Amino acid sequence: MDIEMVRHLSNLGKLSFTDEELEKVAKEMTGIIEIMDTIKEIDIAYEPIKDNHNVYLNGLREDKAMDSFPTEKILQNAVNSESCFVVPKVVE
Amino acid sequence: MDITALKIRDMRAALDKKEVSAAELADAYLTRINEIDGSLESYITVTAEEAKAAAAKAQTIIDKGEAKPLTGIPLAVKDNICTDGVKTTCSSKILENFVPPYDATVMEKLNAEGIVMLGKVSMDEFAMGGSTQTSAFKKTKNPYDLGRVPGGSSGGSAAAVSASLCAAALGSDTGGSIRQPAAFCGVTGMKPTYGRVSRYGLVAFASSLDQIGPIAKDAHDCAVILNAISGYDYHDGTSAKLDVPDFTAKIGQDIKGMKIAMPKEFYADGIDDDVRNAVTEAAKWYEKQGAVIVDCSMPSLKYAVAAYYLIASAEASSNLSRYDGIKYGHRSEVGDSYSDLVCNSRSEGFGDEVKRRILLGNYALSSGYYDAYYGKAMALKQKIREEYAEIFKGCDVILTPTAPTVAYGVNENISDPAKMYQADICTVTVNIASLPAISTTCGYDKDGMPIGMSIIGKHWDEATVIQAADAYEKQFERIPAKI
Repeated sequence: MDIEMVRHLSNLGKLSFTDEELEKVAKEMTGIIEIMDTIKEIDIAYEPIKDNHNVYLNGLREDKAMDSFPTEKILQNAVNSESCFVVPKVVE
Repeated sequence: MDITALKIRDMRAALDKKEVSAAELADAYLTRINEIDGSLESYITVTAEEAKAAAAKAQTIIDKGEAKPLTGIPLAVKDNICTDGVKTTCSSKILENFVPPYDATVMEKLNAEGIVMLGKVSMDEFAMGGSTQTSAFKKTKNPYDLGRVPGGSSGGSAAAVSASLCAAALGSDTGGSIRQPAAFCGVTGMKPTYGRVSRYGLVAFASSLDQIGPIAKDAHDCAVILNAISGYDYHDGTSAKLDVPDFTAKIGQDIKGMKIAMPKEFYADGIDDDVRNAVTEAAKWYEKQGAVIVDCSMPSLKYAVAAYYLIASAEASSNLSRYDGIKYGHRSEVGDSYSDLVCNSRSEGFGDEVKRRILLGNYALSSGYYDAYYGKAMALKQKIREEYAEIFKGCDVILTPTAPTVAYGVNENISDPAKMYQADICTVTVNIASLPAISTTCGYDKDGMPIGMSIIGKHWDEATVIQAADAYEKQFERIPAKI
């Protein structure tokens, strides 16, 4: 995996690396992708119709209003002000 | 009598007969944690005061003669399971100060039983790893040899049980994270069928694979905990609306005639001789008891690690997008724009392995690569499930090694992520196929390190898995860790 690809993927994932880190990560990812490439040997395709995942989906929950968490509990782990999350200014 | 070495059901009897009080039991563990955990580093947070209060409450229930199987039993909880008012870090800097505003469903259930939670135990960061060495806080050691890893990602849980720093613990298993550390630390760990236990309040890694389960001193104790934590949950749409059986029900039943399959690929090159020999000897023991060994094959095993890492990382890259430094978690001091703040918070908060998984997940899902990687991995998931279904037509359980090797040195492998991934070969297919499996000790290598074997069952048939593991454990002499 080249450095440009790592840069692209880290932009998608909202991660930043220094140039030195980028080189190291590109090398590590190349080793990882080599393992992932083993699946290219086998010629099969995903068949959605066969996939029940064995999950017992119990049907959707009834759409009804319920109590949620109190605002102060939701904000207890955040920088907050006047019952709101605080973010950098996004409009001029 | 060292009460910290007791099994849960013996503790239950001692508590009910008033041979020991819940407070004495909790104190015995807290003292031991104080004495030993400095070198073992299994606990991230010890909740001593809360434990004493819980013990007092449990005692009043015991005194009234209303104790449930886990009332007053001191347990540890993996630090990715939300505990109301108690820090839940996932061993990550990004959640270093995160205090959940609610209990996970499993904690609600355990608290309703009257357990005594001793604290939160370490793990690989966000459960990504097999050594507990990617933890940002406590890089737990193996109680059998402090120079070796305890396995992971539930390494803190397994090490704490092995060193008798709790009666049992909760772990979580996405690709082997309960079974492999249980094997490395010489204890028993059970991954239930996907959907058996609610994931509500388990910090998500790969939602289609994650499952909470117990790590305990034996299979019987695992069953007791599984009885308490299983069942449908309104808050988890993937939890099964099925009756929860008594998982201890088949314990002690004769295993004569039980069909045990051994897929040959699990015993091929890459598995250490000591491990292969120990599991093969265990199979011979089962055969002597009248079980029938069935030869079989799982041709897709060689693709399983790749399929697992592609699916798990794809889901992780999506699940971890919630960490933005704004709603909760580490918030960078640097960043004038929203975008910079999010990027800096994540880059400072996540460790190297988590970043690699996000990159891999984004790669597998990105335009131009999706079909070749994620699409193919999903096709392999179907194939692996079909191969398991075929094998189960001719057997009751499947026997495999839990890991290719015993626990390795704390400085080995960590620098080579690709090599670390390959070590998950024995466990990942169980998660891919949503099956239940247990790991228990079946031998020791020449250095005295424990060797684990896994017994895999049919969907929802945890009881047979527990029956088979318990039968073996009853005649196997475990050598406790000398710590």
